Amino acid sequence: MTIRDKILVVEDEKSISSFIRAILISNGYDVIVAHSGSEAFSMISSHCPDLVVLDLGLPDIDGMDIISSVRQWTQLPILVVSARSHEKDKVEALDRGADDYITKPFGAAELLARVRVAIRHTRLGIGGEGGASSGKFSAGDLLIDYDKHQVLIAGENAHLTQNEYRIVALLGKCAGKVLTYDFIMKELWGPQSKGSNQILRVNMANIRRKIEKNPAEPQYIFTEVGVGYRMIEGD
Amino acid sequence: MKTRLQKLKHYFPLSLRGWIVYVAAMGLASLVCELLRQVSTSDVHVPLIFILVVLVVSLMTDGYFYGLLAALTSVFTVNVAFTFPYMKMDFSVYGYPLTFLTMAAVGLAVCTLATRVKEQEQLRLESEREKVRANLMRAVSHDLRTPLTSISGSISAVMEGNLAPEQQRELLEGAQQDADWLCRMVENLLSVTRIGDTATAGLHKQEEAVEEVLGAAVLAFRKRNPAVEVSVSAPEEPLFLPMDPVLIQQVLQNLMDNAVIHGQHTTQIRVRAERGRDAACLSVADNGCGIDRHLLEHLFDGQLPASGPSADTTRGLGIGLAVCRTIVEAHGGQIQARNLPHGGAEFHFSLPLGEREHDDS
Repeated sequence: MTIRDKILVVEDEKSISSFIRAILISNGYDVIVAHSGSEAFSMISSHCPDLVVLDLGLPDIDGMDIISSVRQWTQLPILVVSARSHEKDKVEALDRGADDYITKPFGAAELLARVRVAIRHTRLGIGGEGGASSGKFSAGDLLIDYDKHQVLIAGENAHLTQNEYRIVALLGKCAGKVLTYDFIMKELWGPQSKGSNQILRVNMANIRRKIEKNPAEPQYIFTEVGVGYRMIEGD
Repeated sequence: MKTRLQKLKHYFPLSLRGWIVYVAAMGLASLVCELLRQVSTSDVHVPLIFILVVLVVSLMTDGYFYGLLAALTSVFTVNVAFTFPYMKMDFSVYGYPLTFLTMAAVGLAVCTLATRVKEQEQLRLESEREKVRANLMRAVSHDLRTPLTSISGSISAVMEGNLAPEQQRELLEGAQQDADWLCRMVENLLSVTRIGDTATAGLHKQEEAVEEVLGAAVLAFRKRNPAVEVSVSAPEEPLFLPMDPVLIQQVLQNLMDNAVIHGQHTTQIRVRAERGRDAACLSVADNGCGIDRHLLEHLFDGQLPASGPSADTTRGLGIGLAVCRTIVEAHGGQIQARNLPHGGAEFHFSLPLGEREHDDS
């Protein structure tokens, strides 16, 4: 018998938690459900789940505070459930250490895909602090060569500038994960880089022209509108 | 104390424009009177011309201040400069006091009237807005009922349990489609409240690359409609526009969804952005059945005639497009629709270009 991944679903709406539970169980996960923030805390420490699916709107504790306090002692992946129009919430959740978000309303396929990515990331230790800075990343025709500091498209050097390379390298290390504008700004231009992220947006427009066939139809780096950028999963 | 000051400011607002209007009108009137004096000896026309000045100034400025000022200075100008005895203040000649009193009274009356008309205009605009909102609510409630009935009915039929598996599946698929449609409508309504919330502070605009918003909208659309062929094009030169990206993405998604739902046999959609001289133009074109000519006029009003080709095909068109229009206009742009000569419909909207130096987001 195989050991199954255990997922904690934190959601106060019964109807939503029961359908998330049904989807996850039928796809071979162990599922436990918490209906409040305090319940979630005790379940995280007692059950040590492999992933938490967290709705931000809980009756007792603000979902943001849950993310922050969980992050103080564990890197356990957190998948946030959020509404479309609340992109500020998504950004804040990600900046506080959530791994990914899923937008309501979502279907079974999307939920399972996000859950798989989040669990795999922690398994491989990427996306966490001090990720691999050597080796290669490839997705389709895109190849990031971390040793040579080069990005190749179908074997051809894409001739990225220093900053452009650093942005692509960062996204590649966290492939599949959304990185917020603020996070990328801080990684590249230091913690003092406040306010305008225009420099990042312009760099990204240039990157797209070098690595994508059609800038309006990206294959590798996707925009999460109002939130940040996401690199496609590697092969 | 503060409120009294505010009240004073409300009735007597000062502005550069006001001063300019006032000085220009007085100057022009004096000039005309001076010229007329060269050709005619009578000065009957003088008070009339100055009353005209009071009228013009009152109409073209806000509040009472400039109108009253104009009335007052007119009385003195007429008395001193243009009536007997010339270049001398004299109210004692028989009949003069009455004339000047009348002039002051006319000035005041015109001022009051003009101000009141302006206030009325404001009220009318507000009630218009209220009417649009009420229409939207009516359209929404009407549009929500049908899918809810179908969802609830389908599910109860499945729960009865006497159906063949394929029948069950069919009902559930229908219910899911209707539920997805409801989700989109609710997102639309939330977008409208989002504009309403920020109306005082303006939209939350930020310089965004058009291609990013286009790309994201198309990506989401493809997930929902894998069978439809979509082509996208953005300017070769990166184009940044001040916008609320979530709302503009919503406009694009509404237009693309409409192309599929109402185009009936749409297989291809073309989405493009182009840079114009002072605005960017974004368009969504399809190869569907086009738009009924009778609908074309009222497309964006949120109140489509229910007696279309079939009430069902127009369902949702009302809300979605009314929301698109609200969003685009809140950005200072315009949205239009037309039928393409070789079949299909095209929706295009403009977004004003920003000044790159002014972005502070």
